[in-house]
Amino acid sequence: MSSLGGAPWYILEFGDELVYFTPYTTTLLILALVFTVLALVSRPERQVEALFGTDAIYAKDTTVDQMRFRRFMAIACGCASMGAVVTGDLFNFTLFVALVGITNVGIVAAVKNRHVQNAAFQYGLVALTATVPLFAGAGIVAATTGTLSIVALASGTVPQAPFFARALLCLGVVGEGMAPFYAAKAEMFRAPGAPYVIMCSLSSLLIFLRVAEVVMVI
Amino acid sequence: MIWQEYSVGLLVVLACGIVAFVALLLEWDDLHRLLLIDLVEIPSLGVIALLGTDLAEALILPGLVVGIAELLALSQIYLHKEGIADRKVSGLNIEVISKADAPVIISVILIVYGIVLSGFTGGGIAGLGIVFFFMARGAKEHFSLLEMASGVSWALWIAAFFVFMVLPQYWFLALMGAAIGILLKVTVKMALVGMMWGRPDE
Repeated sequence: MSSLGGAPWYILEFGDELVYFTPYTTTLLILALVFTVLALVSRPERQVEALFGTDAIYAKDTTVDQMRFRRFMAIACGCASMGAVVTGDLFNFTLFVALVGITNVGIVAAVKNRHVQNAAFQYGLVALTATVPLFAGAGIVAATTGTLSIVALASGTVPQAPFFARALLCLGVVGEGMAPFYAAKAEMFRAPGAPYVIMCSLSSLLIFLRVAEVVMVI
Repeated sequence: MIWQEYSVGLLVVLACGIVAFVALLLEWDDLHRLLLIDLVEIPSLGVIALLGTDLAEALILPGLVVGIAELLALSQIYLHKEGIADRKVSGLNIEVISKADAPVIISVILIVYGIVLSGFTGGGIAGLGIVFFFMARGAKEHFSLLEMASGVSWALWIAAFFVFMVLPQYWFLALMGAAIGILLKVTVKMALVGMMWGRPDE
């Protein structure tokens, strides 16, 4: 198999579904794992608010209890990113990416603030529309090449996936990974978020890096 | 021949997708956009269905589940965003439906037909029957009991898969277990999704 991320060290097969570990995907997996563990053990950051015009400073107390849902979503997001970076099945990849999209909506939306929820809602609309190009890309690859296995597609024994399908796949991942823009919009000023909101940015980065590998080898 | 049909189908589905995208662009009201998103969801399933093999059926189900999950999440966000999450919804509140026998008959037909179909589709139809009955009657439901039933039937389904892998000679037993497990699971899950109006602690 000619692979962009190096020769696979290990290919784990469950019937026709498979998971493979190349140096590239393993690196991404370790990154996702480390940040998931960090989200698991770290406490929420304490936000400090300065009152304009005076010299008063408030330190808001944010407990883990208030952040329970966001922490759960951050961990789920980490698991979904881990799945997305190691899976060797194109449709599973699209499903994991869609799951990253949903959990990102969850991370952003858990704040009880109208502005934040507005941002989360708009991002959710983008994430849901992005499933069309995402599934269309995977569907067209399956229809033209007859397989969804990235290893088989990379081996050169099946026809190359059409450019259109790869472009759709990229477009879908960009749509699902749009979260950091909305998260930044919502979080920077209005809501206590760290460290859980980091998962939004990290998972988007990971799926962007993975889709680059996928579209180059298929 | 089949390739021509696939290309035409693909063109039609993508055209539908583009129409839905344009509608989303033009619409500014958030509730209407939420409803339009449902319309966008259909081309994304249609493009998988175009494969026309049993693989397509296996791929549609997770695609559908992802779509429903996002739609439910978005509608919850919408409720909180607009501050209408605390409004009580306890049924359809239509007198004809809540007094007459028709909902019972329709629900029974749907449930029986669902059981006959079995599997995922049957579960969906039977679940629809239960949802319709509860919506018509506005009955109080026991979430914990339903959740337990869902969990147990899921475990049955998974156990059947292990029988397939470990003891293939009992495949018929496993097949029946998997069919019944998924039927119960989808029925209960669908009923739960249909009845969870607001948080359970309210």
